[in-house]
Amino acid sequence: MIEIKDIIEKYPREKRYTLAMLQDVQKQFNYIPRQALMMISEYVDTPLSSLYSMATFYKALSLKPKGKYIIKVCDGTACHIRSSMVLIDEIYNILKIRIGETTEDGMFSLETVNCLGSCAIAPVMVVNDKYYGKVTPAMVREIIKEYGGEKNE
Amino acid sequence: MIIKIDGKECTAQKGEYLLSIARRNGIEIPTLCHSDALPGIGSCRLCIVEVVEKGRSRVVTSCIFPVMGEIEVLTNSKKIRNMRKTLLMLYLARVPENEKIKKLAEEYGAVVPERFSADKSEDCILCGLCVKACESLGSSAISTVNRGVTKKVSTPYDEPSKECIGCGSCAYVCPTNAMKIKEKDGIRTIWNKDFKLIKCEKCGEYFATKEQIEYINKKKGFNLEDEMLCDKCKKKKAGERLKEVFEDYRE
Amino acid sequence: MSDRKIVKVCCGTGCLANGSGVLFEKLLEKSKIKGDFAVDILVKSTGCNGLCEKGPLIKIEPDGITYCKVKLSDIDEIYEKTILKGEAIERLLFSDSSGKKTKSHKDTEFYKRQVKLALRNIGEIDPTCIEDYIERDGYKAIYKALFEMTPEDIIKEVEKSKIRGRGGAGFLTYRKWMGAKKVDSFPKYVVCNGDEGDPGAFMDRSVMEGDPHSIIEGMIICARYLDSHKGYIYIRDEYGLAIKNMKAAIEDAKNHGYLGKNILGSGFDFDIEIVRGGGAFVCGESTALMSSIEGKVGEPRAKYIHSNEKGLWGQPTVLNNVETWANIPLIILKGGEWFAGYGTENSKGTKVFSLVGKVKNTGLVEVPMGTTLRELIFDIGGGIIGNKKFKAVQTGGPSGGCIPEGLLDLKVDFDTLTEAGSMMGSGGMIVMDERTCMVDVARYYIKFLSEESCGKCAPCREGIKRMLEILTDICEGRGKEGDIELLEEICSMVESAALCGLGKTAPNPVMTTLKYFKDEYIEHIENKRCPAGVCKNLTTFFIDSEKCVGCGLCRKNCPADCISGEIKKPHFIDASKCIKCGSCIENCRFSAVKVK
Repeated sequence: MIEIKDIIEKYPREKRYTLAMLQDVQKQFNYIPRQALMMISEYVDTPLSSLYSMATFYKALSLKPKGKYIIKVCDGTACHIRSSMVLIDEIYNILKIRIGETTEDGMFSLETVNCLGSCAIAPVMVVNDKYYGKVTPAMVREIIKEYGGEKNE
Repeated sequence: MIIKIDGKECTAQKGEYLLSIARRNGIEIPTLCHSDALPGIGSCRLCIVEVVEKGRSRVVTSCIFPVMGEIEVLTNSKKIRNMRKTLLMLYLARVPENEKIKKLAEEYGAVVPERFSADKSEDCILCGLCVKACESLGSSAISTVNRGVTKKVSTPYDEPSKECIGCGSCAYVCPTNAMKIKEKDGIRTIWNKDFKLIKCEKCGEYFATKEQIEYINKKKGFNLEDEMLCDKCKKKKAGERLKEVFEDYRE
Repeated sequence: MSDRKIVKVCCGTGCLANGSGVLFEKLLEKSKIKGDFAVDILVKSTGCNGLCEKGPLIKIEPDGITYCKVKLSDIDEIYEKTILKGEAIERLLFSDSSGKKTKSHKDTEFYKRQVKLALRNIGEIDPTCIEDYIERDGYKAIYKALFEMTPEDIIKEVEKSKIRGRGGAGFLTYRKWMGAKKVDSFPKYVVCNGDEGDPGAFMDRSVMEGDPHSIIEGMIICARYLDSHKGYIYIRDEYGLAIKNMKAAIEDAKNHGYLGKNILGSGFDFDIEIVRGGGAFVCGESTALMSSIEGKVGEPRAKYIHSNEKGLWGQPTVLNNVETWANIPLIILKGGEWFAGYGTENSKGTKVFSLVGKVKNTGLVEVPMGTTLRELIFDIGGGIIGNKKFKAVQTGGPSGGCIPEGLLDLKVDFDTLTEAGSMMGSGGMIVMDERTCMVDVARYYIKFLSEESCGKCAPCREGIKRMLEILTDICEGRGKEGDIELLEEICSMVESAALCGLGKTAPNPVMTTLKYFKDEYIEHIENKRCPAGVCKNLTTFFIDSEKCVGCGLCRKNCPADCISGEIKKPHFIDASKCIKCGSCIENCRFSAVKVK
């Protein structure tokens, strides 16, 4: 198992690498553990408050653990006018989670993103790194099934 | 260099900030996020003024606008007053019970439309001055958190901060008295943390927190065993010592 | 000698999402089959071809055959017939709206009207193969810049080209460069802004994914002019493939001597580092971006001293957008005058647009500046999906605005868009039809900005918060008399009092919809009705019994099971159960579903 220390020490002890460190930590643990924030603070000699400020400013970072599968529904303009919000409603019907929430079993988190640049196949939904284009409410159910969801039904 | 502010000719150094030139010449421009002791932030936007250059007028932020050439400035034009009025309307909608904002809003005739939701206990206008003060005078215990409309000022994780030394710089610079600082029975409470206050050994008044003194000693390499004196008594003592030295010298 | 066939599989994000990855694998496998064929097959994965709508796309050269919407089950047939025998498969060819089939993509209306400068290589080369880039005149411009031209020659060409920054405001590129050159302070930095954040825009992503070397080459040229030795490419974290391809390209360029110490033996050093964005739209603003590179929160600062004089770590910094950088090698190679031969009086060259929304041929298009909106949407874009009525086109992302039908003949360039109350932005072009509610669109952008504003200055933060409150109320049926005037008052203050470009342009979506579509606002506020049938509280769908033929399509597609009716007889919507998703109206081919 990769430890926080290993992630941080890949980078020189310079403040400009803090965002990269935080992103790598996020990727490894699905969130920024408190301990990581404190270790980075010490490593690059930057106050904890300013790292906390960064961790809450950048959307790619999260202080709360996220689900195993992160469902991102694109709500870029092209997706929005092709009814991306209807997908959000459908996901709520199936998993009972709203934007920013994680299912109780820790399997799924739901997020919206502001454009993934795949507007031509709008509306777009991404589960972890897999893209789904021209998604319909009916497809949402099938996609979630792929990942073992839908136990609430 | 001579610039014209509201018709008055004012001398200015190249690169000097417009706000300080105006103030030096007795021209009042309203501000919230400005402190002479700290670098300009430019977040409150109340100090906006019109600058006319080569016949073109533009709106600039006087606290951070460096004067580079001979310009004409209008600090109180109708356009600027209207903008301040709308801005103060938004401020008042945010902190409806705050005395400072209420007064300013009245001055500009700003009234909050009924349709806006409001939190009556809110006093913070998020100017960020406290954060800057904590960075340079205190110990970087607080910062801005989140972004956009959910932005706020707090300690990490909203918990009592290890770094906070209870110096109260944040409260001192706050333009709207939003910082809750409590002092009772020799205890100062700020940012949900209690600090023991130290009495001046001479006059007996509480003058600083224990953590504050330790922090200063550490930073400046002073000895902890030094006498605990408040600023007033320290000055007095320094004066006496000077007198002694002077007298020794005479003898 | 055997015949060489090159099979290019589009692996842009759009095609990948449609499954082009497995097609590539399958074709690669096929190409390795040894047999008694007089054909030598080379399979390549390329960047985005632009016509994402018809993906996955496969091109077969030199026959010039393009196939659309290819499925895995088509591969055997493509291999047998097209690759081995050179026969085209009719069913997979591109067909335009009239149903006419076209053999090569180059003959389609979509491509014919385009001029590909910034996108010159994309879709043609394998972005991970530096040789492909070199073969198409890649890195020739840096030979010129390093060995034949003085820094003054370089800036002269850029000046002659009159190219303006492709990132938004359209500042003249040569002026930006000269400003940084003038300051006698070193080090100087060269930065590429790849934090493409406008929703509905993906041209920068495509260039970074599909032709990364063109950006690197552009940056080297500027570095040579400035005598800078360090460059940064700031890429949105969401763009995984772009980061991967850009990284690989930097490595390859170093290995070939185009980057790093003593480039091509010239004695000039220049290195590039990638910085991943943290997911913040505001970091597309240059000063916020620099703050983010420095490892801080991405808050903008006032630009009274420009960043080309005091930028990254207080040093002179030239920051340009991806598309601008991709154009630079061409300007050096073919000359500034050649570049200025395209475009309008004050906007030279071409511009890449991502044409998306309710238009038939969604995708990436590059046209000379001055092309009209009508040509873009109706000729290249093929018109509106389902032949519905065009309502507006949104340009410039959250900083831009909505342009109505009356301005369709507008010749698109930096200045005309600004005059219309919108802006070029990075080139997003979102087409909207009668089923798009303009109040909802304004609310959408303001909601976006409420999350993406950095929150530092009060006009932007508080102004957006209150505008969102009002717009949400209007969309949900709580609009009040006086709301429009209040919106106008806040807009006009925020526009001049906000600190940065993001804040100053934030009111644009509201102001343009108020200017061109005020009647929709009034309909929402006074009559509590959303004419487009989008705002749920203000929408009731019904079926016009005279038009309904009883085909049952709406019933089958209704996720709420609230439509009833017998086949071949008029159907009915049970309004009490309707969730107002609009599936019925989208599916009806007889325009029988209507908004009350």
